[in-house]
Formats: sequence, C-alpha cells, structure tokens
Amino acid sequence: MASGPMEQFEIKEKAELFEIGGQAISWTNSAFWMVISAILIVGFFALTTKRKLIPGKMQSLGELSYEFIANMVKDTTGAEAMKFMPLVFTLFFFILAANLIGMNPYAFTTTSHIAVTAALAVFTICVVIVAGIWKNGLKWFKIFAPSGLPFIMYFIIIPIEIISFISRPITLAVRLFANMVAGHVMLKLFAIFAAFLAAKGGIVAVGAILPVLATTAIVALEFLIAGLQAFVFAILTCVYLNDVYHVDH
Amino acid sequence: MANRNGQNHASKPDDLSDLGARLDAAKSKHQIAPESKDDGSMLGLAWRMSTELVVSVMVGLGLGYGIDVIFGSKPWGILIGLCFGFAAGIMAVLRTSEQMDAQNAGVPLGDDMPDDEDE
Repeated sequence: MASGPMEQFEIKEKAELFEIGGQAISWTNSAFWMVISAILIVGFFALTTKRKLIPGKMQSLGELSYEFIANMVKDTTGAEAMKFMPLVFTLFFFILAANLIGMNPYAFTTTSHIAVTAALAVFTICVVIVAGIWKNGLKWFKIFAPSGLPFIMYFIIIPIEIISFISRPITLAVRLFANMVAGHVMLKLFAIFAAFLAAKGGIVAVGAILPVLATTAIVALEFLIAGLQAFVFAILTCVYLNDVYHVDH
Repeated sequence: MANRNGQNHASKPDDLSDLGARLDAAKSKHQIAPESKDDGSMLGLAWRMSTELVVSVMVGLGLGYGIDVIFGSKPWGILIGLCFGFAAGIMAVLRTSEQMDAQNAGVPLGDDMPDDEDE
C-alpha cells in the first residue's frame, strides 16, 4: 500500500483493440470502470422501474431521481428544455456513478482524467452549439452580441462573450477533474502518512491515529464532493442550455 | 397520529385548533429543510465562481498569446487578452451571483439575466 499518491491514476492497458489513424484504441482499466458505472446505472433504473401505482422504496428512489433532474431542468432552463432532460439525466448519473465507484478501494476513478471530463464537457457544449444553430439559425450567434448596446461597446462585449463561451467547456472539465484528483491525492497522502507512522513502531505509532482520523473525515468530504460535482456539472449544463432557448438575453 | 385525532373529534373546536397548532409546527419544521439543502448548492456555486474566474483569465491569456503568435504583435495580444479575460471572468462571476439572487427570489432563470451591468 505504500505506493505513491499518483499511482492510483495510472492507466493500465488491458488489451489493444484496433487502430484508428495510427492511434491505438485499447481496453483499459478506465474503460472497464466506465462500462461498470454505465451498467450499474442502467441496472439500477431497470430494476427500480416496475411501474407499480404505489411505489416501493426502490421505485420511489428511481422516481425521485427522475423528478430531481426534471425539476432542475425546468427551474433552470424552462419547460421547453425538457427535450434535453435525458442528456442532463445521463450526465448527472454517469458522473455520480463514476465518482462514487472511485471512492471504493481498488476501483479506478474515471473522472480523475481530464480526457474523460473534457470529452463530457466538449460534448455538452457541442450539443448547445448544434441545438442553438438548429433552432435559431445564424441568429444564434447573437448570444455573443446582446442587442441594445451603444455601437462602441460591441468592440468590448464581443471578445468578452467569446472568451466566456470558450471558457465554459474548460471550466466544466477542469472543475470535475481537479476535484477528483485533489481529493484522491489528499486521501492517499494521509493514508500513506498513517501507514508510515504505524510502521515506525513505539510511541510514534500512536500518532498514526491523527492521520487516520483525517482520512476518515476526508472520505466523508469526498462523498459530498462526488455528489456535488455531479450536481454542478448537471446544473451548468442546464444553464448553458439557456443559450439554446434564450438567445436575446 | 395527528390525522387520526383530527378525524375522530373534528367537531370539537379546541381539538381543531390543537391540530392547527401542530400543523403550523410541522410546517415551520419543513421550512428549515430547504434552507439546509441550499448550503450544498452554495458550495457548488462557490466552485463555479472560482473556476469561472480563473479559467476566463487563462482563456483570455491563451487567445492573446495565439494572436501574438499569428500576427507577431508580441506583447500587446497577451496584455489585451489578459484584460479581456479578466473582464470575462468578472462578468461570469457577476452572472452567477445574479442567478443566485434570482434563485433566492423565486424568479425563473434565463428570462432576465442582465449581463452588461459591469461595464
């Protein structure tokens, strides 16, 4: 267990599948745990939707999670955005499952890799752009130039709006990835410190209780962060979907 | 418990007022619950604001540097890009806090998000 704090993020190639343009596509531990989380989510909702009129405990858990996301989309973007509710739902539960699976010992945290989080974020923004242009046509680009400003202001507002639009996928990706990495590194560091103190033996070993307490506290915090970051990702997706429906804001 | 009492002796006025008092007590208890739920999303908002501010500055810097490389206008692109990035970051933070206020006031979001107030 005395491995370095960054070793837990190592991608281990299990099998090379095929090549696309000289880039090997392989089956890795990250891919394995992503599939596991997808199976868990699908399994959970397949098992909890028995569609009884009076829901049991598990069914009401499934229904509550539907209502949670549905209300989030309705409150943040509006009822017309319910078309995108499946997207938000999938994003939220995939990230939540991946984060929570990462909290288990020997499991791999797929969301601790910026490649994964950036793929999710770029996909989200692409959906916003494509849906925005699909719905509003070229008028959609007016989100970069809000109407009703003096002419000179556009020289300032347009670059600012473009910068804030570009920073959206980056903030989405970086926030999730940085939170997961920082939490897991911190957890590992305290755990290593506890093992190190305990191995010293004698009076020093008693001091190991402090990092063990800290590790326990951080585990609790990490569970909060795991849920919170999934929530933030989902609600920001809703906020960005505003640009599809409210161009002249 | 409260239901059964109410059904059995609903005709007695003091029982009704007792039920009313207990209902009020239960309601006031439930009003606390959403507030405590808010604290979690407050942390989320804090995360949003801080990353938005930092990343906007970085994006402005990056775009400015890109313009410098393409047009060979060495220091100016970065300088102006940094300023615009900072402005975009402040604007993103203001926008987020605007949404926070709207959420607290119970106003639906997206309809009125004034975004040109900082200029």
